[in-house]
Amino acid sequence: MKEITAIIRPNKINTTKKVLDTLGFPAMTAQRVLGRGKQKAIIGEVTMDIDKTKLHEKEGTMRYIPKRMLTLLVSDQDVSLVVEAIMRVNQTGQKGDGRIFVSPIEEAIRVRTGENGDKAIT
Amino acid sequence: MKMIRAIVRPDKAEEVVDALAESGYVALTKLDVIGRGKQKGIQVDEIYYDELPKVMLMLVSESENTSGIIQIINDTAFTGNFGDGKVFVSPVDEAYTVRTRSKGL
Repeated sequence: MKEITAIIRPNKINTTKKVLDTLGFPAMTAQRVLGRGKQKAIIGEVTMDIDKTKLHEKEGTMRYIPKRMLTLLVSDQDVSLVVEAIMRVNQTGQKGDGRIFVSPIEEAIRVRTGENGDKAIT
Repeated sequence: MKMIRAIVRPDKAEEVVDALAESGYVALTKLDVIGRGKQKGIQVDEIYYDELPKVMLMLVSESENTSGIIQIINDTAFTGNFGDGKVFVSPVDEAYTVRTRSKGL
């Protein structure tokens, strides 16, 4: 089992959920988080029309950028599929597209039935 | 690669973030969390607080840098009282940057 932690733009969450749902991974945990990295402004994320040239010249001084953190548990053979799907949906080419981390999970237990291991996450 | 999750006092969080940025660890994620520790919360006069607000800082780094990062967090978040927080380190197999679709940090 692997845990996939993806930190993505808040306005991409709906499409990401939809795509993962069609691929057969409806279960996930989403959290509102704040992040900092190379992105320093959210001018590229507002819904109104913005002059495209401004996206490049505007550096910004925001200390933290609001992000969504998705956590989902998948079995080992599905990791590359899910990672590829998340990357394809979220790639815009601008700074701030986010990061994906894959880390090992030793045990998972479904509380309702007491099942453990791979059975608990499918 | 390792993921470092540090649970620190909310009023110390910015100090820790600044100290990490000075040493070159700029990228991190910040979460507001609620927790309690060995002291089962805190008693202030007649009011008993079962759960206390904390800030969780999450960052992923190369394995050889972890001890340095933990040292920075320990130095800046320290007050000597109960409730200074904890630091957890867990393994990360792979990391991807979405913008470039490249592997690695």
